[in-house]
Amino acid sequence: MRATFPGQVRSIVRRDFIRERRSGEVLWVTLPFGAIALLLVPLAVGPDGPTLQTIGLGMFWVIVMLFGVLIAIRQTNAETQPQRDVVSLTGIDPAAVYLGRALASFLLLLVFEVVLALVTVALYNIPLTGWGWMPLVMILVGAGLALLGTLAAGIVSTGRSSAALVPLLVAPLSVPLLISATQTFEALRLGRSILMWILMMIVVGLLVAIAGVLTARPLQESG
Amino acid sequence: MTTPEQSPSPTWPWIAMAVAGLVTFVAAMTVSADAVQGELSRIMYVHVPAAWLAYLAFGVTMFASAMYLWKKDLKWDRRALASAEIGVFFTGLLIGLGMIWGKPTWGVWWTWDARLTLTAIMFFVYLGYLALRRTTDDLRTRAKRSSIFGVLAIVQVPVVHFSVVWWRSLHQAPTLLRPEPPEMDTSMAVTLLIAVASFTVMYVAMMVKRIELARLEDAVVIADQTHSGAAAGDAVTAPNLSGRGM
Repeated sequence: MRATFPGQVRSIVRRDFIRERRSGEVLWVTLPFGAIALLLVPLAVGPDGPTLQTIGLGMFWVIVMLFGVLIAIRQTNAETQPQRDVVSLTGIDPAAVYLGRALASFLLLLVFEVVLALVTVALYNIPLTGWGWMPLVMILVGAGLALLGTLAAGIVSTGRSSAALVPLLVAPLSVPLLISATQTFEALRLGRSILMWILMMIVVGLLVAIAGVLTARPLQESG
Repeated sequence: MTTPEQSPSPTWPWIAMAVAGLVTFVAAMTVSADAVQGELSRIMYVHVPAAWLAYLAFGVTMFASAMYLWKKDLKWDRRALASAEIGVFFTGLLIGLGMIWGKPTWGVWWTWDARLTLTAIMFFVYLGYLALRRTTDDLRTRAKRSSIFGVLAIVQVPVVHFSVVWWRSLHQAPTLLRPEPPEMDTSMAVTLLIAVASFTVMYVAMMVKRIELARLEDAVVIADQTHSGAAAGDAVTAPNLSGRGM
């Protein structure tokens, strides 16, 4: 019996989580690597408390963006062409494969963001003004980044030097997310409306999701 | 009858590029210098047209990419490539000239202004587009993947253009691409329009030559793939199964 579309998405998410459980790539490699990056920044700019307080939140989002790309592309890099062929032969809708991969990346990115946010607050002594909005911003940034990274990984999946190329494609395109995330907290600090920045993150996420779903089949067919 | 591959390469684009370059140079050097900035203001007659060409080129890349995804005709992919390369060149020129102008005016080569930073990011987005094209030799796969990215990448252009409106910026507001008439002396505005028109002619001429080159590059790839069976060349010959000549 053919699984429904949500069932297909769930299958892909489950497959990615099984792979993550076996490899531990996100929890045991990328996450500690991100924490190390947060430790390195004060060594580079100096241990001046007020400076670190000022740049701390920005550094957090930069590290989420850069290391988040690694999370979003990890399955595609690990997958071989025969594995991709098997997935297409099972008849799973390519859009379900795209959304399933993006959803798995999104959930892992959320874990990554939460742990790194705690590390950032602890290391940089950041005041907690407006942090009630943090869960929403994390969700929107995580979703946008996961959708964008999964789409870019799909575009370059079978090409030469794909692992090196995806960050080059994703990092500049994730700028609207980075700006929105940082400006949301800047606006909260100054007592301004954050609606525009929240809307920008939603629009970016929606546009990338639509592009990913529409291009999933042509990308799968092009091998 | 000659095939498209055998037809002689047109020379008019070279002439058009030379004339357009000469017209821009003469116009920029004969107009009066700005009262405040002096001779430095002449950079504007290349900087602003370069910005216009970057927008135009990336817009054409997006349109040609969308047309490829719709029509599946490789000529649209070649147009997208040609336009993206020209756009990257003029974005690089734009940034370089901006830095040369910025050092004496602002006192620094680079400042973390929204317009400057986002323009640099746009430059890297389209460098990524060009890098993506080098990941596979299969023409159809390359065209499909780069077309998808070519459509997505256009989001950077309005962000760059409106950055001076959305954020408090050191960079001045749009000079030409805005609803109101330009706030500058008529002779300077006319010179700027001449430069923009000349650069547009230059773009068309460069497109013609680059598309021609892209067609030849594709023909080489197809020829390579067609003859790839003879990898060992004359070193290996077919077995003589008839037994004659032994």
